[in-house]
Amino acid sequence: MLPHDAGHSSQKVAEVQAESEAIFRSIGDGAIATDEFGHITRINPMAQRILGLKPKEALGQWFPRILPIMREDKTPLALIERPIVQMFLTGKSVTAKVRYILKDGSSVPVSITVSPIILNGRPVGAIEVFRDITEEQEIDRMKSEFISLASHQLRTPLSTIKTYTHMLADGYFGPLAAPQTAPLQTVITAANTMNELISVLLNIARIESGSIAISTSEYDAAQLVTDVIKQLQITADARGVRLRFIRPAAPANLCTDSLIAKEILANLISNAIKYTPTLGTVTIRVRDLQHSVRIAVHDTGIGIPRQVHDKIFAKFFRAPNAVREETVGTGLGLYVVQGLVTTLHGKIWFRSAEDAGSTFYVSLPKSSVSPGRTADL
Amino acid sequence: MGREQRLYDKVVRITDVYLGPAASRFIDRQVRNHLHKAPEELSENDLYGLIDWIRAAVSLLTEDSDMVEEYTEELAKLINGKQHTRQA
Repeated sequence: MLPHDAGHSSQKVAEVQAESEAIFRSIGDGAIATDEFGHITRINPMAQRILGLKPKEALGQWFPRILPIMREDKTPLALIERPIVQMFLTGKSVTAKVRYILKDGSSVPVSITVSPIILNGRPVGAIEVFRDITEEQEIDRMKSEFISLASHQLRTPLSTIKTYTHMLADGYFGPLAAPQTAPLQTVITAANTMNELISVLLNIARIESGSIAISTSEYDAAQLVTDVIKQLQITADARGVRLRFIRPAAPANLCTDSLIAKEILANLISNAIKYTPTLGTVTIRVRDLQHSVRIAVHDTGIGIPRQVHDKIFAKFFRAPNAVREETVGTGLGLYVVQGLVTTLHGKIWFRSAEDAGSTFYVSLPKSSVSPGRTADL
Repeated sequence: MGREQRLYDKVVRITDVYLGPAASRFIDRQVRNHLHKAPEELSENDLYGLIDWIRAAVSLLTEDSDMVEEYTEELAKLINGKQHTRQA
Protein backbone atom coordinates (compact mmCIF):
# COMPACT_ATOMS: atom_id res chain seq x y z
CA MET A 1 0.00 0.00 0.00
CA LEU A 2 1.36 3.43 -0.88
CA PRO A 3 1.95 5.84 2.01
CA HIS A 4 -0.67 8.13 0.55
CA ASP A 5 -3.23 5.26 0.48
CA ALA A 6 -2.35 4.28 4.04
CA GLY A 7 -2.92 7.83 5.22
CA HIS A 8 -6.19 8.05 3.37
CA SER A 9 -7.30 4.70 4.78
CA SER A 10 -6.51 5.59 8.39
CA GLN A 11 -8.30 8.91 7.93
CA LYS A 12 -11.33 6.99 6.66
CA VAL A 13 -11.19 4.67 9.68
CA ALA A 14 -11.00 7.67 12.00
CA GLU A 15 -14.00 9.25 10.27
CA VAL A 16 -16.05 6.06 10.61
CA GLN A 17 -15.09 5.77 14.29
CA ALA A 18 -16.00 9.39 14.93
CA GLU A 19 -19.32 8.90 13.18
CA SER A 20 -20.20 5.79 15.18
CA GLU A 21 -19.18 7.60 18.39
CA ALA A 22 -21.41 10.53 17.42
CA ILE A 23 -24.33 8.17 16.71
CA PHE A 24 -23.80 6.45 20.07
CA ARG A 25 -23.65 9.76 21.93
CA SER A 26 -26.80 11.08 20.29
CA ILE A 27 -29.03 8.10 21.17
CA GLY A 28 -31.99 9.64 23.01
CA ASP A 29 -32.08 6.82 25.57
CA GLY A 30 -29.33 5.78 27.91
CA ALA A 31 -26.83 3.44 26.28
CA ILE A 32 -23.91 1.49 27.69
CA ALA A 33 -21.63 -0.75 25.65
CA THR A 34 -19.38 -3.46 27.05
CA ASP A 35 -16.64 -5.66 25.70
CA GLU A 36 -16.79 -9.46 25.81
CA PHE A 37 -15.43 -9.41 29.37
CA GLY A 38 -18.29 -7.27 30.62
CA HIS A 39 -16.17 -4.14 30.94
CA ILE A 40 -17.80 -0.86 29.99
CA THR A 41 -16.37 0.58 26.78
CA ARG A 42 -18.85 3.40 26.15
CA ILE A 43 -21.49 5.31 28.08
CA ASN A 44 -23.54 7.97 26.35
CA PRO A 45 -24.55 11.35 27.85
CA MET A 46 -28.15 10.25 28.56
CA ALA A 47 -26.91 7.23 30.51
CA GLN A 48 -24.52 9.48 32.43
CA ARG A 49 -27.42 11.77 33.29
CA ILE A 50 -29.83 9.01 34.38
CA LEU A 51 -27.21 7.16 36.38
CA GLY A 52 -25.24 10.13 37.70
CA LEU A 53 -22.05 8.52 36.42
CA LYS A 54 -19.11 10.26 34.82
CA PRO A 55 -17.30 8.45 31.98
CA LYS A 56 -14.11 8.19 34.05
CA GLU A 57 -16.09 6.41 36.79
CA ALA A 58 -17.65 3.93 34.39
CA LEU A 59 -15.24 3.21 31.53
CA GLY A 60 -13.23 0.04 31.98
CA GLN A 61 -15.31 -1.03 35.00
CA TRP A 62 -17.02 -4.40 35.26
CA PHE A 63 -20.62 -3.65 34.29
CA PRO A 64 -22.45 -5.68 37.00
CA ARG A 65 -20.32 -4.07 39.74
CA ILE A 66 -20.59 -0.45 38.64
CA LEU A 67 -24.29 -0.80 37.95
CA PRO A 68 -26.03 -3.36 40.19
CA ILE A 69 -29.69 -4.00 39.57
CA MET A 70 -32.72 -5.36 41.35
CA ARG A 71 -36.20 -6.36 40.32
CA GLU A 72 -38.90 -3.81 39.62
CA ASP A 73 -40.42 -4.60 43.02
CA LYS A 74 -37.05 -3.90 44.69
CA THR A 75 -36.34 -7.54 45.52
CA PRO A 76 -32.84 -8.85 44.72
CA LEU A 77 -32.09 -10.14 41.24
CA ALA A 78 -29.45 -12.87 41.00
CA LEU A 79 -26.59 -12.14 38.63
CA ILE A 80 -27.61 -15.10 36.50
CA GLU A 81 -31.05 -13.54 36.00
CA ARG A 82 -29.65 -10.20 34.91
CA PRO A 83 -30.84 -9.44 31.36
CA ILE A 84 -27.33 -9.02 29.95
CA VAL A 85 -26.38 -12.48 31.25
CA GLN A 86 -29.60 -14.03 29.95
CA MET A 87 -28.87 -12.39 26.60
CA PHE A 88 -25.46 -14.10 26.42
CA LEU A 89 -26.95 -17.38 27.55
CA THR A 90 -29.67 -17.33 24.93
CA GLY A 91 -27.99 -15.30 22.19
CA LYS A 92 -31.13 -13.20 21.82
CA SER A 93 -31.94 -9.60 22.71
CA VAL A 94 -33.64 -9.34 26.07
CA THR A 95 -36.12 -6.66 27.11
CA ALA A 96 -36.98 -6.19 30.78
CA LYS A 97 -38.06 -3.73 33.42
CA VAL A 98 -35.69 -3.54 36.37
CA ARG A 99 -34.23 -0.99 38.78
CA TYR A 100 -30.65 0.21 38.55
CA ILE A 101 -29.06 0.82 41.94
CA LEU A 102 -27.19 4.12 41.84
CA LYS A 103 -23.97 4.95 43.64
CA ASP A 104 -25.81 6.92 46.37
CA GLY A 105 -27.90 3.80 47.17
CA SER A 106 -31.10 5.08 45.58
CA SER A 107 -32.61 3.26 42.61
CA VAL A 108 -34.20 4.21 39.32
CA PRO A 109 -36.76 2.09 37.42
CA VAL A 110 -35.74 1.49 33.84
CA SER A 111 -36.94 -0.34 30.79
CA ILE A 112 -33.94 -1.96 29.15
CA THR A 113 -33.14 -3.79 25.96
CA VAL A 114 -29.81 -5.52 25.79
CA SER A 115 -28.36 -7.01 22.62
CA PRO A 116 -25.13 -8.73 21.69
CA ILE A 117 -22.60 -6.88 19.56
CA ILE A 118 -21.64 -9.34 16.86
CA LEU A 119 -18.56 -8.75 14.73
CA ASN A 120 -17.69 -11.23 12.00
CA GLY A 121 -20.12 -13.68 13.55
CA ARG A 122 -18.50 -13.50 17.00
CA PRO A 123 -19.85 -11.87 20.18
CA VAL A 124 -17.50 -9.04 21.05
CA GLY A 125 -19.64 -7.30 23.63
CA ALA A 126 -23.10 -6.06 24.44
CA ILE A 127 -25.10 -2.87 24.27
CA GLU A 128 -27.71 -2.06 26.89
CA VAL A 129 -30.16 0.67 25.93
CA PHE A 130 -32.50 1.94 28.65
CA ARG A 131 -34.93 4.66 29.58
CA ASP A 132 -36.03 6.02 32.93
CA ILE A 133 -39.65 4.94 33.53
CA THR A 134 -40.17 6.69 36.88
CA GLU A 135 -42.88 8.91 35.44
CA GLU A 136 -44.61 6.07 33.56
CA GLN A 137 -44.68 3.97 36.71
CA GLU A 138 -46.16 6.83 38.73
CA ILE A 139 -48.89 7.32 36.10
CA ASP A 140 -49.52 3.56 36.06
CA ARG A 141 -49.76 3.50 39.84
CA MET A 142 -52.23 6.40 39.87
CA LYS A 143 -54.26 4.78 37.11
CA SER A 144 -54.39 1.46 38.98
CA GLU A 145 -55.39 3.23 42.18
CA PHE A 146 -58.14 5.04 40.31
CA ILE A 147 -59.42 1.83 38.72
CA SER A 148 -59.34 0.07 42.07
CA LEU A 149 -61.16 2.88 43.84
CA ALA A 150 -63.72 3.35 41.07
CA SER A 151 -64.38 -0.39 40.89
CA HIS A 152 -64.96 -0.67 44.63
CA GLN A 153 -67.24 2.36 44.56
CA LEU A 154 -69.21 0.90 41.62
CA ARG A 155 -69.54 -2.52 43.20
CA THR A 156 -71.46 -1.33 46.25
CA PRO A 157 -74.43 0.26 44.42
CA LEU A 158 -74.32 -2.56 41.87
CA SER A 159 -74.80 -5.11 44.65
CA THR A 160 -77.93 -3.24 45.67
CA ILE A 161 -79.22 -3.23 42.08
CA LYS A 162 -78.55 -6.97 41.74
CA THR A 163 -80.18 -7.84 45.05
CA TYR A 164 -83.35 -5.85 44.39
CA THR A 165 -83.75 -6.92 40.75
CA HIS A 166 -83.46 -10.57 41.80
CA MET A 167 -85.99 -9.98 44.58
CA LEU A 168 -88.32 -8.33 42.05
CA ALA A 169 -87.89 -11.25 39.63
CA ASP A 170 -88.51 -13.78 42.40
CA GLY A 171 -91.75 -12.02 43.36
CA TYR A 172 -90.70 -10.73 46.78
CA PHE A 173 -92.56 -7.48 46.09
CA GLY A 174 -95.58 -9.08 44.53
CA PRO A 175 -96.21 -10.77 41.19
CA LEU A 176 -94.83 -9.14 38.05
CA ALA A 177 -97.03 -8.32 35.12
CA ALA A 178 -96.07 -10.31 32.01
CA PRO A 179 -94.72 -7.28 30.08
CA GLN A 180 -92.41 -6.49 33.04
CA THR A 181 -90.56 -9.84 33.07
CA ALA A 182 -88.43 -9.43 29.93
CA PRO A 183 -87.23 -5.86 30.70
CA LEU A 184 -86.34 -6.92 34.24
CA GLN A 185 -84.33 -9.88 32.89
CA THR A 186 -82.46 -7.42 30.66
CA VAL A 187 -81.59 -5.32 33.72
CA ILE A 188 -80.34 -8.45 35.55
CA THR A 189 -78.19 -9.51 32.57
CA ALA A 190 -76.73 -6.01 32.24
CA ALA A 191 -75.98 -5.88 35.98
CA ASN A 192 -74.22 -9.26 35.76
CA THR A 193 -72.15 -8.06 32.80
CA MET A 194 -71.20 -4.93 34.71
CA ASN A 195 -70.28 -7.04 37.73
CA GLU A 196 -67.98 -9.21 35.59
CA LEU A 197 -66.36 -6.13 34.10
CA ILE A 198 -65.72 -4.70 37.56
CA SER A 199 -64.14 -8.01 38.60
CA VAL A 200 -61.84 -7.83 35.58
CA LEU A 201 -60.89 -4.23 36.36
CA LEU A 202 -60.22 -5.09 40.00
CA ASN A 203 -58.07 -8.04 38.90
CA ILE A 204 -56.07 -5.78 36.62
CA ALA A 205 -55.57 -3.26 39.41
CA ARG A 206 -54.38 -6.06 41.73
CA ILE A 207 -52.08 -7.61 39.11
CA GLU A 208 -50.53 -4.28 38.17
CA SER A 209 -50.01 -3.21 41.77
CA GLY A 210 -48.67 -6.65 42.67
CA SER A 211 -51.14 -6.88 45.52
CA ILE A 212 -52.72 -10.25 44.76
CA ALA A 213 -52.66 -12.34 47.90
CA ILE A 214 -51.74 -15.95 47.13
CA SER A 215 -52.91 -18.76 49.35
CA THR A 216 -51.51 -22.11 48.25
CA SER A 217 -52.55 -25.65 49.06
CA GLU A 218 -52.27 -28.95 47.24
CA TYR A 219 -54.93 -29.61 44.60
CA ASP A 220 -55.55 -32.11 41.85
CA ALA A 221 -55.50 -30.13 38.60
CA ALA A 222 -58.14 -32.45 37.14
CA GLN A 223 -60.49 -31.52 39.98
CA LEU A 224 -59.93 -27.80 39.37
CA VAL A 225 -60.78 -28.31 35.69
CA THR A 226 -63.88 -30.34 36.60
CA ASP A 227 -65.11 -27.56 38.92
CA VAL A 228 -64.68 -24.95 36.16
CA ILE A 229 -66.37 -27.14 33.55
CA LYS A 230 -69.37 -27.48 35.86
CA GLN A 231 -69.64 -23.68 36.05
CA LEU A 232 -69.43 -23.28 32.28
CA GLN A 233 -71.47 -26.26 31.12
CA ILE A 234 -74.67 -24.20 30.88
CA THR A 235 -72.96 -21.58 28.71
CA ALA A 236 -71.49 -24.28 26.46
CA ASP A 237 -74.87 -26.02 26.14
CA ALA A 238 -76.57 -22.72 25.29
CA ARG A 239 -74.10 -22.19 22.45
CA GLY A 240 -74.24 -25.80 21.27
CA VAL A 241 -70.55 -26.34 22.00
CA ARG A 242 -69.37 -29.69 23.33
CA LEU A 243 -67.00 -29.67 26.31
CA ARG A 244 -64.62 -32.62 26.42
CA PHE A 245 -62.19 -33.28 29.24
CA ILE A 246 -59.29 -35.69 28.84
CA ARG A 247 -58.24 -36.63 32.36
CA PRO A 248 -54.76 -37.81 33.28
CA ALA A 249 -54.50 -41.44 34.38
CA ALA A 250 -53.48 -40.42 37.91
CA PRO A 251 -54.11 -37.28 39.98
CA ALA A 252 -51.99 -34.36 38.76
CA ASN A 253 -51.29 -32.68 42.07
CA LEU A 254 -49.88 -29.21 42.33
CA CYS A 255 -49.41 -26.68 45.08
CA THR A 256 -51.18 -23.54 43.95
CA ASP A 257 -53.86 -20.97 44.68
CA SER A 258 -57.08 -22.68 43.63
CA LEU A 259 -59.10 -19.47 43.20
CA ILE A 260 -56.54 -17.92 40.87
CA ALA A 261 -56.03 -21.21 39.00
CA LYS A 262 -59.79 -21.56 38.50
CA GLU A 263 -60.05 -17.98 37.30
CA ILE A 264 -57.34 -18.68 34.70
CA LEU A 265 -59.13 -21.82 33.54
CA ALA A 266 -62.55 -20.18 33.53
CA ASN A 267 -61.24 -17.35 31.34
CA LEU A 268 -59.58 -19.69 28.86
CA ILE A 269 -62.45 -22.14 28.63
CA SER A 270 -65.14 -19.45 28.38
CA ASN A 271 -63.08 -17.73 25.66
CA ALA A 272 -62.84 -21.03 23.80
CA ILE A 273 -66.62 -21.50 24.07
CA LYS A 274 -67.27 -17.91 23.00
CA TYR A 275 -65.24 -18.17 19.80
CA THR A 276 -66.26 -21.70 18.79
CA PRO A 277 -69.24 -22.04 16.44
CA THR A 278 -72.23 -24.24 17.25
CA LEU A 279 -71.45 -27.98 17.04
CA GLY A 280 -67.79 -27.24 17.74
CA THR A 281 -65.78 -28.83 20.52
CA VAL A 282 -63.63 -27.47 23.32
CA THR A 283 -61.19 -30.06 24.63
CA ILE A 284 -59.34 -29.65 27.90
CA ARG A 285 -56.39 -31.90 28.58
CA VAL A 286 -54.30 -32.11 31.77
CA ARG A 287 -50.77 -33.49 31.61
CA ASP A 288 -48.69 -34.33 34.63
CA LEU A 289 -45.05 -33.41 33.90
CA GLN A 290 -41.96 -33.74 36.06
CA HIS A 291 -41.97 -30.29 37.65
CA SER A 292 -45.22 -28.84 36.39
CA VAL A 293 -48.77 -29.55 35.37
CA ARG A 294 -49.72 -28.51 31.86
CA ILE A 295 -53.31 -27.73 30.98
CA ALA A 296 -54.25 -27.35 27.33
CA VAL A 297 -57.53 -25.78 26.19
CA HIS A 298 -58.13 -26.61 22.56
CA ASP A 299 -61.05 -25.33 20.51
CA THR A 300 -62.30 -25.76 16.99
CA GLY A 301 -63.16 -22.09 16.76
CA ILE A 302 -62.30 -19.10 14.60
CA GLY A 303 -58.61 -19.10 15.54
CA ILE A 304 -56.20 -16.20 15.82
CA PRO A 305 -54.67 -14.70 12.66
CA ARG A 306 -50.90 -15.15 12.60
CA GLN A 307 -50.25 -11.42 12.15
CA VAL A 308 -51.73 -10.60 15.58
CA HIS A 309 -50.14 -13.44 17.57
CA ASP A 310 -47.70 -11.08 19.27
CA LYS A 311 -50.51 -8.77 20.43
CA ILE A 312 -52.91 -11.32 21.83
CA PHE A 313 -51.95 -10.80 25.50
CA ALA A 314 -51.89 -6.99 25.19
CA LYS A 315 -54.35 -4.94 27.20
CA PHE A 316 -57.55 -4.03 25.31
CA PHE A 317 -56.47 -5.97 22.21
CA ARG A 318 -59.05 -8.00 20.31
CA ALA A 319 -58.25 -9.87 17.12
CA PRO A 320 -60.15 -8.47 14.10
CA ASN A 321 -61.94 -11.79 13.44
CA ALA A 322 -62.98 -11.93 17.12
CA VAL A 323 -64.50 -8.44 16.86
CA ARG A 324 -66.40 -9.48 13.72
CA GLU A 325 -67.67 -12.64 15.37
CA GLU A 326 -68.53 -11.26 18.80
CA THR A 327 -68.94 -7.53 19.15
CA VAL A 328 -69.10 -7.64 22.95
CA GLY A 329 -65.72 -7.93 24.61
CA THR A 330 -63.18 -5.81 26.43
CA GLY A 331 -59.91 -7.29 25.20
CA LEU A 332 -58.89 -7.67 28.82
CA GLY A 333 -59.43 -11.40 29.40
CA LEU A 334 -56.12 -12.77 28.12
CA TYR A 335 -54.24 -9.82 29.61
CA VAL A 336 -55.67 -10.77 33.01
CA VAL A 337 -54.99 -14.47 32.42
CA GLN A 338 -51.36 -13.79 31.60
CA GLY A 339 -51.01 -11.64 34.74
CA LEU A 340 -52.58 -14.34 36.90
CA VAL A 341 -50.40 -17.08 35.38
CA THR A 342 -47.31 -14.99 36.08
CA THR A 343 -48.53 -14.46 39.65
CA LEU A 344 -48.53 -18.25 40.06
CA HIS A 345 -44.99 -18.47 38.55
CA GLY A 346 -46.48 -20.29 35.56
CA LYS A 347 -46.20 -19.92 31.82
CA ILE A 348 -48.80 -19.42 29.12
CA TRP A 349 -48.49 -19.81 25.36
CA PHE A 350 -50.69 -20.78 22.44
CA ARG A 351 -50.85 -22.22 18.95
CA SER A 352 -53.46 -20.97 16.56
CA ALA A 353 -54.28 -20.13 12.98
CA GLU A 354 -57.29 -18.33 11.57
CA ASP A 355 -60.23 -20.69 10.97
CA ALA A 356 -58.19 -23.57 12.37
CA GLY A 357 -58.92 -23.29 16.09
CA SER A 358 -56.64 -22.41 18.99
CA THR A 359 -54.87 -24.24 21.77
CA PHE A 360 -53.86 -22.33 24.87
CA TYR A 361 -51.35 -23.99 27.18
CA VAL A 362 -50.87 -23.12 30.81
CA SER A 363 -48.02 -24.63 32.73
CA LEU A 364 -48.15 -24.28 36.51
CA PRO A 365 -45.28 -25.35 38.76
CA LYS A 366 -46.02 -28.26 41.06
CA SER A 367 -44.37 -26.35 43.85
CA SER A 368 -45.23 -22.72 44.48
CA VAL A 369 -41.52 -21.96 44.96
CA SER A 370 -39.96 -20.14 42.02
CA PRO A 371 -37.01 -21.82 40.30
CA GLY A 372 -33.61 -21.05 41.73
CA ARG A 373 -30.35 -19.90 40.26
CA THR A 374 -28.96 -23.23 39.16
CA ALA A 375 -32.09 -24.03 37.20
CA ASP A 376 -31.70 -20.84 35.18
CA LEU A 377 -28.05 -21.34 34.29
CA MET B 1 -20.51 -40.17 16.84
CA GLY B 2 -18.82 -41.70 19.89
CA ARG B 3 -15.90 -39.31 19.55
CA GLU B 4 -18.22 -36.27 19.34
CA GLN B 5 -20.11 -37.41 22.38
CA ARG B 6 -16.83 -37.58 24.27
CA LEU B 7 -16.02 -34.02 23.23
CA TYR B 8 -19.25 -32.75 24.79
CA ASP B 9 -18.48 -34.71 27.95
CA LYS B 10 -15.01 -33.19 28.07
CA VAL B 11 -16.45 -29.68 27.74
CA VAL B 12 -18.88 -30.38 30.59
CA ARG B 13 -16.13 -31.88 32.74
CA ILE B 14 -13.94 -28.78 32.31
CA THR B 15 -16.93 -26.50 32.92
CA ASP B 16 -17.83 -28.38 36.08
CA VAL B 17 -14.55 -27.22 37.65
CA TYR B 18 -15.56 -23.57 37.17
CA LEU B 19 -19.36 -23.57 37.32
CA GLY B 20 -20.10 -26.61 39.46
CA PRO B 21 -23.32 -28.60 39.18
CA ALA B 22 -24.82 -26.18 36.65
CA ALA B 23 -22.14 -27.11 34.09
CA SER B 24 -24.15 -29.61 32.10
CA ARG B 25 -27.22 -27.38 31.82
CA PHE B 26 -25.07 -24.36 31.00
CA ILE B 27 -23.24 -26.11 28.15
CA ASP B 28 -26.46 -27.67 26.91
CA ARG B 29 -28.08 -24.24 26.60
CA GLN B 30 -25.02 -22.69 25.01
CA VAL B 31 -24.81 -25.42 22.36
CA ARG B 32 -28.51 -25.39 21.60
CA ASN B 33 -28.93 -21.58 21.62
CA HIS B 34 -25.76 -20.50 19.84
CA LEU B 35 -24.88 -23.45 17.63
CA HIS B 36 -28.49 -24.58 17.08
CA LYS B 37 -27.63 -28.23 17.41
CA ALA B 38 -28.00 -31.04 19.92
CA PRO B 39 -25.19 -31.23 22.51
CA GLU B 40 -24.11 -34.69 21.31
CA GLU B 41 -23.48 -33.21 17.86
CA LEU B 42 -20.80 -30.85 19.19
CA SER B 43 -17.68 -30.96 17.05
CA GLU B 44 -14.21 -29.45 17.36
CA ASN B 45 -15.05 -26.85 14.73
CA ASP B 46 -17.99 -25.70 16.84
CA LEU B 47 -15.74 -25.03 19.80
CA TYR B 48 -14.31 -21.84 18.28
CA GLY B 49 -17.70 -20.12 18.29
CA LEU B 50 -18.86 -21.75 21.48
CA ILE B 51 -15.87 -20.51 23.46
CA ASP B 52 -16.61 -16.90 22.42
CA TRP B 53 -20.17 -17.13 23.74
CA ILE B 54 -19.05 -18.92 26.90
CA ARG B 55 -16.43 -16.26 27.58
CA ALA B 56 -19.02 -13.49 27.17
CA ALA B 57 -21.56 -15.17 29.43
CA VAL B 58 -19.15 -16.22 32.19
CA SER B 59 -17.45 -12.82 32.16
CA LEU B 60 -20.70 -11.34 33.41
CA LEU B 61 -21.01 -13.91 36.19
CA THR B 62 -17.60 -13.26 37.68
CA GLU B 63 -15.24 -10.32 37.69
CA ASP B 64 -12.31 -12.73 37.90
CA SER B 65 -11.05 -12.39 34.34
CA ASP B 66 -8.05 -14.64 35.11
CA MET B 67 -10.47 -17.44 35.94
CA VAL B 68 -12.44 -16.80 32.75
CA GLU B 69 -9.26 -16.87 30.68
CA GLU B 70 -8.08 -20.05 32.38
CA TYR B 71 -11.45 -21.71 31.81
CA THR B 72 -11.68 -20.76 28.13
CA GLU B 73 -8.03 -21.77 27.58
CA GLU B 74 -8.80 -25.18 29.04
CA LEU B 75 -11.68 -25.47 26.59
CA ALA B 76 -9.48 -24.29 23.72
CA LYS B 77 -7.03 -27.13 24.40
CA LEU B 78 -9.76 -29.49 23.21
CA ILE B 79 -9.42 -28.12 19.67
CA ASN B 80 -6.92 -30.64 18.30
CA GLY B 81 -4.61 -29.59 21.12
CA LYS B 82 -4.44 -26.15 19.48
CA GLN B 83 -4.69 -22.91 21.39
CA HIS B 84 -7.78 -20.84 20.63
CA THR B 85 -6.75 -17.23 20.42
CA ARG B 86 -9.12 -14.34 20.34
CA GLN B 87 -9.06 -12.29 17.22
CA ALA B 88 -8.67 -8.55 17.52
